[in-house]
Amino acid sequence: MKTSEILECISRVLFPFILLYGFYIIINGHLTPGGGFQGGAILATAVLISYFIYPDKIRDLNLLIKLEKYVFIIILLFASASLLTKGEIFTSFLPIDTNVNLKSVFLVNLNLFIGIKVSIGLILVFSTFIEEGK
Amino acid sequence: MIKKSMLILMLFILLIIFINISFHAINNIDTSSKDYYLYNTYSDTGSKNIVTGIYLDYRLFDSIFEASILIIAVSGIIFMSKKDDEVL
Repeated sequence: MKTSEILECISRVLFPFILLYGFYIIINGHLTPGGGFQGGAILATAVLISYFIYPDKIRDLNLLIKLEKYVFIIILLFASASLLTKGEIFTSFLPIDTNVNLKSVFLVNLNLFIGIKVSIGLILVFSTFIEEGK
Repeated sequence: MIKKSMLILMLFILLIIFINISFHAINNIDTSSKDYYLYNTYSDTGSKNIVTGIYLDYRLFDSIFEASILIIAVSGIIFMSKKDDEVL
């Protein structure tokens, strides 16, 4: 696959900014519009752009599959930790009368895990398609 | 011909029902759940963005099953793209 030099140069410039924007969307998901799913899609777009820069680079798909499974298990454990503290499954594990600033720790962590999981899933989808098209 | 006319009739009936319900709903909207989320989300979950408060705290099971749908779709795509002699 041969890409044009202008597109490659613009991709090199834009790549770190797209990564930064994706992490910004994920981490500020509880303050501004955005969140895990949207930020994960933006991170996957950054990796898709890196296919323009290095077309022949082969990624280890088995490692990504393993990583996605483990992150999903971490999300399940993190979400069901409220069974021990509150007695209800799938809510925040902090008590209801905690300080509001402390409560956002749960939201930021869960947003980060969901963002990583969604971005790995989308990377796997188009990496499989690109491998298939070769 | 009969199938097409039946389909058009069904769509027409659906349209009439939809218009009836939407005009009925404009006059008496129940805003109790909207008001609850508007006034209590920040103190309950600590999130200034109400959407995040709903999908990460009130309805966390929903977003967990949404994430599991993505993992199932990815595994299906990888299974389709494998050659016959490769073992997953």
